[in-house]
Amino acid sequence: MNVRNDRKIFLRLLSRITAVGLLLFPAVSALAAGTAVGTPIVNSATVDYDLGGTPLTITSNTTTITVAERLDVVVTLQSGPVLVAANDLNQSILFTVTNTGNGSEVILLAMNSVIAGDDFDPTPAVPDIYFDSDGSGDLSVGDVPYNPGVNDPNLAADASVDVLIVNDIPGIVVNGNIGRSELSASASTGTGAPGTVYALQGDGGTDAVVGASGAADLQVGEYLVSDVLIAVAKAQTVADPFGGTQPIPGATLTYTMTVEVQSAGVATASVLRDPIPAFSTYVPGSITLNGTPITDAIDADAGELDTTVVPTVVVRLGDLTLVDGIQTIVFQVTID
Amino acid sequence: MKILMSVVFLGLSFGALAQEEGSLDVRTVVQKEEVVINEDGKSENRLVAVESVVPGERVFYTITFTNVGEEPAENVVITNPIAAELSYVEGSAFGPGMEVEFSVDGGATFANAADLTVTEGGETRAAGPDDFTHIRWVMQGELNTGSQGTARFAAVLN
Repeated sequence: MNVRNDRKIFLRLLSRITAVGLLLFPAVSALAAGTAVGTPIVNSATVDYDLGGTPLTITSNTTTITVAERLDVVVTLQSGPVLVAANDLNQSILFTVTNTGNGSEVILLAMNSVIAGDDFDPTPAVPDIYFDSDGSGDLSVGDVPYNPGVNDPNLAADASVDVLIVNDIPGIVVNGNIGRSELSASASTGTGAPGTVYALQGDGGTDAVVGASGAADLQVGEYLVSDVLIAVAKAQTVADPFGGTQPIPGATLTYTMTVEVQSAGVATASVLRDPIPAFSTYVPGSITLNGTPITDAIDADAGELDTTVVPTVVVRLGDLTLVDGIQTIVFQVTID
Repeated sequence: MKILMSVVFLGLSFGALAQEEGSLDVRTVVQKEEVVINEDGKSENRLVAVESVVPGERVFYTITFTNVGEEPAENVVITNPIAAELSYVEGSAFGPGMEVEFSVDGGATFANAADLTVTEGGETRAAGPDDFTHIRWVMQGELNTGSQGTARFAAVLN
């Protein structure tokens, strides 16, 4: 499935490069909006020369060209595959829409959930597009629905807006199925082959010219049906330095986690991650999986203590099914 | 009496004007490249007039200077400041019979591109096209009466 997705993007890029070559339009970084529309670019030259030993100077005429509006839009997928179950409602995928042109532009949004190559078509919710108004990254109360023609986002150069597309998941799906839905964004002034000019339709009455993006972009998000029932439980015991069970500084806490698949299906590439609690320190070398010690370092065994951000116990359990039974992970910390 | 004196006065001032301004005619033109299909059906690049430009586009400046006076002009130097919004296209400056030099210090000093350095935060490195603030073309030899010279460079709009 990933191969198919990559091929679609590759073909789209090929057609863009051909158009750019013909129109002598150099590739533009997606991040740089460029000189603001309406800026005058002024140039003149000075010539110094000698006539019969007398130094003289003459200045040429001044040329002025005006910066027109370049239309460019980029859509960025922000969510990894969204885990869903059959019949789930209002499942959202997060995107960012950015105006990478150099002028203000009203952007039109649209969602499409009929994408070839996936296992099911998500069912568009009504409304199907929201702004992530509260910045939560998913659909929540307070997110404003997108209403085409009424609240199309008006983005300044380099500005962006977070957008959620929302679908329901059909009933006839099975664990591992993928359903795709795409968000497209386009400049309302116009789209088309790079270099296409919309005369006088840019900011302040300048021309608007379609940039290398074609003034439009779309990205595809994924829903992944994950309805394997996994039971996780965590228990702790306390041993203080005095032979008792008081949770005082210096006491050792032993955490025991059990992970068990309790339904049909495969929990593919399961990973348990448990951050070390605040005000405690991990006891080196204390991780075990089903009784077998796991080294703290990142190596070929099934786990480690990940210290890149917050210290976290990481244990890879592989592809788990009902048959694998209970997986037991143990580690210890001391109270600071 | 009075009329005679005015005529003489006019003649003198006209002569002074010719010496100060009339000897070199200088014009600057800005253009951009377009692909056109020529008469043979083949595509070729042509320079066309430009009025508006978008970030990322390349423009070409051409300075034409003609000696319209009666004496040869010597030590002809054309200096062109590069607008802040433009990035000079490396290697694009040329002019027949002229040496091209650049400045990185706002036009105070000029040198060949390969000899220019820039110091930033205590480190000195070779100057690149984005560091150039001015270009100048130094004519080797004199510009005879009736002769024309051309200086050209390209830049990309930031």
